[in-house]
Amino acid sequence: MQRTSDYPPAPPALRARTFSCMGTVVSLTLPAALGADKLAAATAVVEQLFAGLDETFSLYRPDSEASRLARAEIALPEASEDMRRLYADAVGWRLLTEGAFTPERPDGVLDLSGIVKGYAIQEAGTSLLALGLRDWCLNAGGDVLVSGSPVLVSGSPVPGSPESAGREPWRAGIVDPEDRRTLIAGYPLGGRSGAKLALATSGSAERGDHIWAAGAGSGARPGSAAPVFRQVSVAAADIVTADVLATAIVAGGLPMLDRATDGWDIEVLAVRAGGELLATPGFRR
Amino acid sequence: MNTQLLPAMAASSRGTRKGPGTFTAQHRRRLFRADLLTTSAWASVAAAVALWLADGGATGFSTPAGAFTALGIVAGLAGMDLVLLMLLLAARIPLIDQTVGHDRALEFHRKLGKPSLYLLLAHGILVAIGYGMAEGLDPVSEAVSLWVMVPDMWLAYISMALFIAVVVTSLVAVRRRFPYEFWYAVHLLTYAAVATSIPHQFSVGGLFAEGTWQRWYWLAVCIATGAALLHYRVLEPVVATFRHQLTVSRVVQVAPGVVSIEMHGLHLNELAGTGGRFFIWRFLAPGLWWHPHPFSLSAEPLQFDASGRGLLRITVRNLGRGSAQLAAVKPGTKVAVEGPYGIFSTAARSRDKVVMIGAGIGITPLRALLESTPFAPGQATVILRGRSEQELYLGDEILELAGNRGATVFHLTGGRSGRHPGSWLPDSTTKAGYRLADYAPDVATADVYVCGPAAWARNVLADARAAGVKEDQLHYERFDW
Amino acid sequence: MRIRSAISATLASAGILLAGWQSGIHVEDTRGAAASTPAGTSGTTGATGSSSGTTGSTGSSSGTTGTSSTSGTTATDSGAAAEPTTGAAAKAGGTYAGSVVQTRFGAVQVQITVNAGSITDVTALHLTDDDRKSIMISNRAAPLLKAEVLAAQSADVQTIGGATITSDAYLSSLQAAIDAANL
Repeated sequence: MQRTSDYPPAPPALRARTFSCMGTVVSLTLPAALGADKLAAATAVVEQLFAGLDETFSLYRPDSEASRLARAEIALPEASEDMRRLYADAVGWRLLTEGAFTPERPDGVLDLSGIVKGYAIQEAGTSLLALGLRDWCLNAGGDVLVSGSPVLVSGSPVPGSPESAGREPWRAGIVDPEDRRTLIAGYPLGGRSGAKLALATSGSAERGDHIWAAGAGSGARPGSAAPVFRQVSVAAADIVTADVLATAIVAGGLPMLDRATDGWDIEVLAVRAGGELLATPGFRR
Repeated sequence: MNTQLLPAMAASSRGTRKGPGTFTAQHRRRLFRADLLTTSAWASVAAAVALWLADGGATGFSTPAGAFTALGIVAGLAGMDLVLLMLLLAARIPLIDQTVGHDRALEFHRKLGKPSLYLLLAHGILVAIGYGMAEGLDPVSEAVSLWVMVPDMWLAYISMALFIAVVVTSLVAVRRRFPYEFWYAVHLLTYAAVATSIPHQFSVGGLFAEGTWQRWYWLAVCIATGAALLHYRVLEPVVATFRHQLTVSRVVQVAPGVVSIEMHGLHLNELAGTGGRFFIWRFLAPGLWWHPHPFSLSAEPLQFDASGRGLLRITVRNLGRGSAQLAAVKPGTKVAVEGPYGIFSTAARSRDKVVMIGAGIGITPLRALLESTPFAPGQATVILRGRSEQELYLGDEILELAGNRGATVFHLTGGRSGRHPGSWLPDSTTKAGYRLADYAPDVATADVYVCGPAAWARNVLADARAAGVKEDQLHYERFDW
Repeated sequence: MRIRSAISATLASAGILLAGWQSGIHVEDTRGAAASTPAGTSGTTGATGSSSGTTGSTGSSSGTTGTSSTSGTTATDSGAAAEPTTGAAAKAGGTYAGSVVQTRFGAVQVQITVNAGSITDVTALHLTDDDRKSIMISNRAAPLLKAEVLAAQSADVQTIGGATITSDAYLSSLQAAIDAANL
């Protein structure tokens, strides 16, 4: 086998740490050159943040604030600052997506899980930047937020230095919903200024948590309607927008896809129920 | 009691008496125009469907879902085209008005109401079924998802609801239950219905997508219809109102419940020769201004000088609440005027001889017609009907006019026979076996003008047909629409 | 005279409908060909080529901008994609067009790629005649063949995006493999 000449360059040396939270696994990856201590410290910060939000917002924990709200033991006005702020954000998104994204389950129970994970990733990202880390990749159960590049240029780069304009991007792969062992497409995140930093993917196949059938507000479509999309990936500048819009497009189908591409600066790769692809130019080769 | 007004058009109508056969050519031209209009109306429906055929629409029939969608689209195109035709028929366009007459135009307008509604309903239902089949949804879910998800579709649903409301309130049975004003207000919603239906035609329908010649055609048709409405129903009336500056000068009681309203104004010479044609009047006084009244002139305008300053007159009987108020109109009230409309006039003549038959207040348009329409002495017959002499409004004036022009006048008074429901003559004459041909022996070769209550007029027309009068010789002005 | 108007109205309407139908046949022909010909590579490109003729020039440009999908683009691209298939594989290979289905968003046709007797790819082609319609339908997200998207192999990515995976499923996921490599 000749694998010398055209073999891709050796993968950059990276180091990753994982922890389990919110029912999924969160991975933080840093260039190995930054050292294991920095990674351990950063992971601890991120884990603490995730755990804190999970404690408040998990509907699986009977003692969480979200569960007590669901049982109507407390009312929204009495809820914590975080809860009210997230609820307000979610309602704002419902308006923006004309109902395709909604913070309420069909049974009326408030369920912010559609936005909590994105919010947690965003907060974690802010914390990492506050720690002085410029190059990292945070993956929470398939939703990705990156900063900088996987390749350090001659030691540690100066924040905002001109060389950050054209560095190696983080290469993200998107799984094939038909076969989770293979990738359907790739997408570069970060690396240069103006690049998208966040990639979120929503699917209709295995989760029904916060995507209820496409009723776009009216709840009109009975459950009989099959979702138009198996899986929708959205790349955006921030993870909350990417996450919410991916969810909304799965729920709202083609019209929501068109609204999303019209109204936001995003790239979308959608896999239709039959396996066909719809993609914006950014996903084209 | 009655003011004698001198006709302004004395010279032109009476002096240049036209020779025999003059009306044949006029009649032929009018029939040609009528055929042309009919043909273009049908052609426009065909063109709407052809737009779709030219886009390869017929391929849709290859699948069941496609067939439903295709039929739905065709129904929508044809329905919208009929709606536009209805608007044009109601736009009081002179070409249409002078070819088929105002009341015939409105009759066609009414006839198209239900077919266009059915087509539009079919459009909605078939497209929902077709799209639903293509996407595996039942039609109701598809309709809801169209409403929710496709831009401009909610407007189309509103449009549909408005169309249904307009057509339902226009059905005769329903219309009788409500006052004219209510019907009129609902009917104005038509414009809203058409306006709300237009966005989805251009944004959702692929047929009229940007860059297609179909889009330009449809835009042109829609804009032309809107422009015609704006011009003939808004602009011209406003211009006429300002030009003629009509003001009520006096209101004279002609008979119990019947008043003549005299108005003075400018450029009245332009309204001369319109005897028998009607105008729509609005008396600009509180509570009255918004109510349009269709009345014909009951006398040729009287002209004072070369600039057209003068007087004109209408005669009104208390038919409804609106007309009742007219008796109380004060001198000095400004009057807005639209018209003249209709072809109950010389323009409809097709023969040299003429027979005019009027009953009650329907006599008044005949007076103006008698005054102006050309005929040789002895070639005109006027039959006036009323329950009593008092109901022969303007009968004296007509008698005098007929004397001057050489027309035969019959005053036939008395109630209609209860036992002969098909009769239009007084009971006594019916019993004696008289019919129209007994009063007007030449009726089969004459133009017959009939004006009066609908049921009575039907009987006159039947009698005239029995006497050998053909459809194109019959001229009938409806008063109760 | 009524007869005259009935006759002329009928004739005029028939004439207009006939003219519309005649000019519509062009569109139908190309669609029909695309719909019914079970064509090998050359057949497919030939048949759809005629429909792409009108948009041929825009086809390539929209390929790069990607703001619109045209039958031209898809047809040409699928042709190009299928070319190596037949070039390499023998008789049983090629692309086959399914029937055209009308949807709210225009005509859609399924295309099957057969390689050595087995189906290797099924793709939906957007068949709306030209740019304008598909622009209305989906402004920016256009139908693509799998071969047209940015490819990626798990060997050369640093992270994996996908619909949320549970903690249990993580263990068998690609992300786990990548994380493990970097531990």
